[in-house]
Amino acid sequence: MSAPVAIVEARGVGKVYPMPAGPVEALRDVSLTVAPGEYVAISGPSGCGKSTLLHLLGCVDTPTAGSLLFEGHPVRAMGEEERSRIRLRRIGFVFQRFYLLPMLTAWENVELVQSEAGMPAAERRARTRELLEYVGLGERAGHRPSQLSGGEMQRVAIARALANRPGLLLADEPTGELDDETGEQIGDLFDRVNADGTALVIVTHNPALAARARRRLAMRSGRLAAPSVVAGS
Amino acid sequence: MSPLQFAWRSLSRQPARAVLGLTGVAVVGALLFDMLMLSRGLIVSFRDLLESTGFDVRVTATEALPGMGPSVSEAAATVEALRRLPELAAVVPVRFGVAAVEALGKKTEEVAIIGSETRRRGEWRLVQGADLAEDSGAGRPDMVVNRTFARDQGLGPGSIVRLASTLTPREFRVSGIVEFPFEASGERMAGVTLNGFTRAFPAARRDEADLLLVASPPGMGTETAVSAIRRARPDLHAFSIDEVLERLRQAEFSYFRQVSFVLATIASFFALLLVTTLLTVSVNQRLGEVAALRALGFSRRRITLDLLAESALLVGGGGIVAVPLGLLLAHGLDSILRQMPDLPSRLHFFVFEPRALAIHLAFLVLAALVAAAYPVILAARLPIAATLRKESIS
Repeated sequence: MSAPVAIVEARGVGKVYPMPAGPVEALRDVSLTVAPGEYVAISGPSGCGKSTLLHLLGCVDTPTAGSLLFEGHPVRAMGEEERSRIRLRRIGFVFQRFYLLPMLTAWENVELVQSEAGMPAAERRARTRELLEYVGLGERAGHRPSQLSGGEMQRVAIARALANRPGLLLADEPTGELDDETGEQIGDLFDRVNADGTALVIVTHNPALAARARRRLAMRSGRLAAPSVVAGS
Repeated sequence: MSPLQFAWRSLSRQPARAVLGLTGVAVVGALLFDMLMLSRGLIVSFRDLLESTGFDVRVTATEALPGMGPSVSEAAATVEALRRLPELAAVVPVRFGVAAVEALGKKTEEVAIIGSETRRRGEWRLVQGADLAEDSGAGRPDMVVNRTFARDQGLGPGSIVRLASTLTPREFRVSGIVEFPFEASGERMAGVTLNGFTRAFPAARRDEADLLLVASPPGMGTETAVSAIRRARPDLHAFSIDEVLERLRQAEFSYFRQVSFVLATIASFFALLLVTTLLTVSVNQRLGEVAALRALGFSRRRITLDLLAESALLVGGGGIVAVPLGLLLAHGLDSILRQMPDLPSRLHFFVFEPRALAIHLAFLVLAALVAAAYPVILAARLPIAATLRKESIS
C-alpha cells in the first residue's frame, strides 16, 4: 500500500530577493514535507525566513531554487491563476493582523471566500453558520470587525480560512496581536481544527503555541535547524 | 457578493470620502455636460431659428452671408424667374434697412425695418392686431412693430409711426404687434410691405432685394431646390440651412466650439485625476487587505473587477447627479450669455440634445475605465508575499 501523497513538499528550496544593495538569500536549501493531518510549528528569530517559507508552502510565492510540490503537482509549472485557485480551495491562511474586511460583518467575511469559490448560496449559508458556531461566534455573526475583540477577530479569520474545507491551514504569528489568555484560546481552536483532520503549519514566536504542535521546527538564517522535534517521539 | 456589492460596501466604509468623490465628479461632470451642450448649442438653436421662418434656402447676390453683402439687382424679374422653377414652392424678396423714427411727440430712435411681401410666411409672428395689408399707394401704409418698439414708443394697433430720417417724412399706421425670429433683446424692429419699404427709404434703389427667401416643396428636398437655383441663375448664390450653419460653424461660432473643447478637456482631465487619486489612495490604504485577499485565493481578475466597480459607482453616481446639475448651470450661464448685445433673443448657447447626453454617458464609461487603470495595475500586480511582510513589519 503506497503512502498518502504529501499535501506540500519542499525539496531543497531557496528564495533570493533582489535588493538594491545586493541579493538577499532568505531561504537556503530547505526541505520539508507536510502530510495530511499534520501539525507543524516553525519557530525562530525575526528575519530567519519563517514567513518566507510559509508563503512558499502556501503557493503565495515561488522558490528561486529547488522544487515545491503541492499535492504532488510542481508549483513552478503552475500559472498565477492556478495557484490562486489552489489557495482559494485547498489552503487556508490566518494572518497576525487578521485582515478581516472592516466593512463586512463576521458572517460576510466568512461567506465571501465561499462565494469566490462558487459555492451555492444555500450551502454557503449552512457552512458559514456551522463555522461561526464552530469558533464560538454564532451570536456575533452580524458584528463588524470593529465591534469584535482581537481574539474574536482571529476566530472569525480562522473560520474564514476553513470556509472552503482546505487540506492545509497556514498561520503566520496568529497570536502575535493577542494577550496570553486569548492566545491560549486560539491555540485550543487550532488543536480542534487539527483534530478534525486539517493539516496545520504555524509560524510563531509563542513557545506555548509551538508546544502544541506534534512537529516543531526551528529556523536560523534561512535554514531549518536539525533535528526537528516530534512530540511524543 | 458581486463586485458591485463589494464596491458599494468599500465606498460606504468611508462615507465622507465617497461623498467628496461623488460631489467632485458631479461638479466636474456638470461642467463637461455643459460644454457638450455649448459645443453645438448655437448651431442647434440657430437651425431652429432658421427653420422657424418656413424657408429652407437663402439666395444672395454674393457669397457673403444673407444680409452681409450687396443686394440682388433686378429683384422682380429674378423672383419671377425663380418662381417658375418647379423645384421651388415659394420665393419671397426681403429688404433690410435702418431708419430713425419719431412717434408722435416722442424722441427720435433707430429702428430696423424689414420689407417683405404680404404673401410672406414666417418672417414674423403676429401677436396682436392685424398683419400687413397690401399697400394701395394711398394713405398711410401698414407697419407691424415688435414688442420692444411698441413698448418704447407706446405703440399699439392704429398708432401712427413717423419715420424722421427721410427728406420728406412718411407716416405709417401700426396694424399689429409681431415677434421677429431674429430680433435681439431690446432691439426695435418693424416690418412693412415692399412698397412700404420704398416709401420708407425713397433713396434706396427700387428693384433690389437684400435676400431672397425660398421654400422647397414638401418632399422634394432642399438640395434639389438649391441645385435648381444654381442651374437657373449661376450668378446668384443659394445656401441651404446646412450650408449657412456650416459657414457659421467655421467662422462666427467656432469660438464657442473651441472654448467648449478646451473646457471639456480640462474638465475631463480633472474628473480622471480626481477618481484616479481617490482610488489610488484607497488602494494604498488597504494594500495589506488586498494582499491578504490575494493570499486567500482571490484572483487578479476579481480584484480588478472590484476596483472597476468602485470606479463605476463613483463616476456613475457623480455622472448621474451631473446631468440635472449641468442643466441648472447651463440655464444660468445661458441667461448670462444671452445678454450679449445684438443677439437674437431666441438664440440659446446651451441646448440639450440626446446626443450630448449620449456622449456624456460614453465619457463616463471611459472615465471609469481609465481612472481605474492605475489603481487596478497597482492592486493586481501587488507582490503578495512582499506586501504581507512589509505590512507585518510596519
